[in-house]
This record gives sequence, C-alpha cells and structure tokens, in this order.
Amino acid sequence: MKQIALYGKGGIGKSTTSANLSAALSLQGLDILQIGCDPKRDSTRMLMHGSFIPTVMDLVRERGDAEVFKKDVVYTGFNGVRCVEAGGPEPGVGCAGRGIIATFQLLEKFGALTGDVIVYDVLGDVVCGGFAMPMREGYAQEIYLVTSGELMSLYAANNICKAIRRLSQRSKSTCRLAGVICNAKNMPGEEDLVAEFARRVNSSLVQYIPRDRAVQIAEIHKQTVIEYDPASEQAQRYRTLASRVMENTTFTIPIPLEIDELEALALEYLQI
Amino acid sequence: MSLKPLPLNTSRFEGCTLTGALSVTTSVRNSISVVHGPRGCAHHNFSLLHATSLEHDGIGAPAIQSSGLLEKEIIFGGEAALEQALSHAVSLSPSCIFVLSTCIAETIGDDAGAVCRKDWGVPVIPVPTGGFLGGVFEKGVNNALCTLSDMAEPRSSEGTVNIIGEKNLEFEVEENFKEVSRLLSVLGLFVNTRFVHNISDKDIAQIGRASFNVLRDPGACPVGDHLKVRFGTAYIPSFPAGLAGTIQFLEMAAAAGRVPFRSAVADEIALQEEVLNGFSDLAGSSISPNGLKMTSPVYSIVREVTSALDMGFSDTGCHVPVPLDPPVGTAGIQRMLHRWRRAIHA
Ligand code: SF4
Repeated sequence: MKQIALYGKGGIGKSTTSANLSAALSLQGLDILQIGCDPKRDSTRMLMHGSFIPTVMDLVRERGDAEVFKKDVVYTGFNGVRCVEAGGPEPGVGCAGRGIIATFQLLEKFGALTGDVIVYDVLGDVVCGGFAMPMREGYAQEIYLVTSGELMSLYAANNICKAIRRLSQRSKSTCRLAGVICNAKNMPGEEDLVAEFARRVNSSLVQYIPRDRAVQIAEIHKQTVIEYDPASEQAQRYRTLASRVMENTTFTIPIPLEIDELEALALEYLQI
Repeated sequence: MSLKPLPLNTSRFEGCTLTGALSVTTSVRNSISVVHGPRGCAHHNFSLLHATSLEHDGIGAPAIQSSGLLEKEIIFGGEAALEQALSHAVSLSPSCIFVLSTCIAETIGDDAGAVCRKDWGVPVIPVPTGGFLGGVFEKGVNNALCTLSDMAEPRSSEGTVNIIGEKNLEFEVEENFKEVSRLLSVLGLFVNTRFVHNISDKDIAQIGRASFNVLRDPGACPVGDHLKVRFGTAYIPSFPAGLAGTIQFLEMAAAAGRVPFRSAVADEIALQEEVLNGFSDLAGSSISPNGLKMTSPVYSIVREVTSALDMGFSDTGCHVPVPLDPPVGTAGIQRMLHRWRRAIHA
C-alpha cells in the first residue's frame, strides 16, 4: 500500500490535483482512498459529482464518535475511488490539527485505511504539529509538494520541506519528499523556476500542470478532467502524473532554502 | 545524613500558576473554584490542597470542580463544557464562583471571560491561570488576589489594616497571622480583612476600607501596587522578620497608621530580651549553615539571632532546622529557637 500526501499552500489547487490524480490512478485499476484534510471539505467534491459529503468531524460533533460508523464517512465516488473528508471545528474555535489526528484514528479503528494507494490532501500553509500529523505518524510516507511559481506558494512548499527534514530525523520516521508538482499560474519562466526550486531542495519536478480551461469546464460539470474530458491534453498530464507517482522510487530528505535564497531564486527566473 | 530535603533542593516557589491561584480562591468561604481544563489539572491541585488543609487541621475538602475537557472539547472548543460545569456549580448555591483557566483552555482559545459574563445569578469571576503562559505559583497567587480585589469598592476607615497574600499553604500560617495582629494591636491598630484567608465574599468587599495594607512578602508587591492604584492604600511590603526587623515593622506600621510608637517599641524590645534570656543556655553552642546561602533572607536572620545569643556558626556545628521563610516577628524567632534547642540537646 502506497500512502502519499499532497501538501501545499491553501488555494494552490491541491484538491483539483488530488482528485484528478486519484481518478487517474483508479483508471489504472488501483483501489484508491482519498482523504481531504481541509475544513473546507472540497477535496473530494469533483470525485463525488459535486456533492459535499458529510465530514468526520461534523458527525463526531453531532453524535459523538461512538455513534459514527464507516458507512457514514466513507463514500464511493468516480470509478470506485473511496472518499473521506476530515472537516474541522468552526473557524476560530478548538484545535483543527487535533481533529485531523482524531479522524485518522477513527478511520484506523474502522479498518478503513486500506487500498493500493491512499491520497491525503493536506493544507500546508498551516504548519502546526496537528497538520504535520499525517507525516509524523507515518500515515503519509511520500510527500508531494504542490506549488506554483508564486513566491508565497514556494514559501509554503519550502516550509513543508523544513517539516519533512525535521521529522525525517526521527528514528521511526518513514516520511520522505517524493517530488514537486507545479500547478502553474502560467507565468513566464514558471516551469523552470519550480524545477530549479525542486532541484535546490534536493528533489525534482515530477509534473508540470499548466493552467487550462479544461479544468474549469470540467468543474462546471462537477467532474474531474479525467472523467469529463479524458481525451484532453490536461487529462493526459494527470495520467502522466499518476504513472510517475506509481513508478517513483526517488524519495529524499529535502534541504530547505533560506528565505533570501528563495527570494533571489524567484527574482532570477520570473520575468517581471 | 539528613533525609530531610534541603530548601535548596525544593521547587516550592515554582510550579503552575493554577496552584497558586487555587490556594487563594479556595480560601474564600462558600465559593466554588471551577478549573476549566482536563480533569488532571484539577485533581492534583485538589489533592495538594486537601492534604495541606488536613495538615493545618482544616476541615473538609477544597471546593474545586473541573470542566473535564476531553478530546472532543479540545477539537471543537470547550466553552459548552464550561457552561455545563458552571450550571452545576450554581446549583450548589455558592456565594460566588471563580473560573480558573488552564494550559489547554488557553491553547485552544476558549473565551472563558465571555462565558462568565452571562447572567448566572451569582458572581462568576474569571482568573487567568494558564500554566504555560509563564509565571509560577506566586504569579497565580498575585493574579487571583488582583482579580478578587476588583470585587470591592473604595471606602475609608481609620485604624484598620488589611493582611495581603498570606501563604495559605505554609506551615505556620495561623501563628504568623497572630503575631502580625499582635504587633498591630500594640499600636492600637486592628485587622480589617485577611485577603485572602478563610474569608467570605462579604469580607472581600471590605478591602477598600483600610488605612494601609501589610503584604506577606515582597513577592506580593504587584498586588500591593494594584490595591494602591485602586483604593489609594499604601503598603508595607513584608511581614516582620528578625529582631531588628520586627522593631522596624512597628515603626513603619505606626507611621502608616499615623499612631505613636515609642512605648510599643520599648515594650517589644523588652519582650525580645526576655525571649533571648530564656535561651541563654544555647550560648557557646555552634550551629551549621546547613546549605543556607548567604544571599538568602533567612541567612541574615539566623546570623542576627546567633550573634545575639553568643552562639557559633560553622560547618562543624549542629544541624538545626532552618525555616524556608524568615521567621515572623518575635514569636517566630522564639519558635525557631525552641526547635534549635531540641536539636542541640538531642
Ligand atoms: S501546567 Fe497546565 S496542564 Fe499542568 S496543571 Fe497547570 S494548567 Fe494544568
């Protein structure tokens, strides 16, 4: 069983990437479980044809965890991909990180953490211990950073490199950086910048995904690109990503950049 | 080898702010202290206060309740659990309720103040005590005293004195209080309120009417300053310590209370001589510093007493019990000398 996690800045397109990746992996005949860890709970929406599934945390809040069962939280979406949304507390109240931990423990209790690949879709600009939990506890073993060429999203990616590096020093740690996915904003020089960023943090660019209207059109139809427009070039990019993820054997301990190094890098590549 | 831990090895002035605050709030009669956090925060404090009150021949258990936060509350916020705990506390008809926060409640950002502001029918007073926010036992005591003082209005009354920040968990809390009231009474002054030792919420409301305050020790200065700002009451920063210190205390109290002091001072000096004469058999014997640091305030008192009694002070001397805090007043010195005599003649 492969356990991969996509981390990246909020709003960078992790959910779109995760959902299309899961869809593409499922078409390879693999049994896939996707777990969204964002309180926004939109990670699995396109796999579920537009419906928001109930979140584990909402159900636990309403009923208490003794009354929540596997069937209440695990939903089957496109091509048999199983979907879970962790959810979270109301904004500004309680501890969402601890909520993620509790969700995983509940799923483990149900025996639901199974399949050929588990895809964790984790928001990564909040880097308290709770959000590093999937890495820390060995749930997520291969980390993919989703970033564009924008400085803020590279910051977030770089911070996650710091977390992976730190956690990799633990003796029991199995978490490694598996690569960088560029979910582009279509800025000039962006692919080279992200590729260079990946190289400097001791990793590589696994896939470049240009901004493409195909994604928006598919989303209007409440589907992933893989489902809505399988013949499109964009769908092909996600399928290539899926194959590369499955073939990938290069997992590294990243070397995060200093902030000024990161800024200099962005300046060098982006034509302003 | 003495198995008794030396004062140097103890951390009694550290620990959690919650413990310090509880040592104050649980001393308000007919009140309930609700600890907003996991049960553990309440439990070990309950045990400690219970055990201490038994030592002091106190009766009953401290009125402490917990909001009992569990994982669910950590994730979704614990304000509802606090409300539930408060409803229960209110049903027991206390005169007032104190809500003390903890590390967990502060970390998840519960707004305990907002919950307290609801109309509960009795005063519900939040005291900030999250252990991890820094500060130690003493900070908790001071936070609680300052918060409680806000329950009173300024008034004036001549000749009365508040005793501020007694160490409710200390071994000789009653004896020390008695000695300070005796010294005040020889000046014609009397104690208004023991803030806070076994008093009611009505007594708290009286603390605005005193000519001056006496702090238990300089650690309570932040409380002294707070009261000064709020009620305009000046303070003496410490209980009397040592022979000369006790005389000085009388002079300071007389000045603060604007009363004559000469005859009271003369009487006290005579009393001190009488006490020392009673221990003249100790002259010539020698005691050991027993790990006492020269910078400790207890050190100077021990030296003062040994030289007044013509006693020796060296590493080879007898190991006598030395108190953790300087003995209070002439009576405190007398009790210390009784213990020394037992050790020397043992
Ligand atoms: S330090 Fe924090 S967790 Fe420990 S008792 Fe104090 S408030 Fe509770």
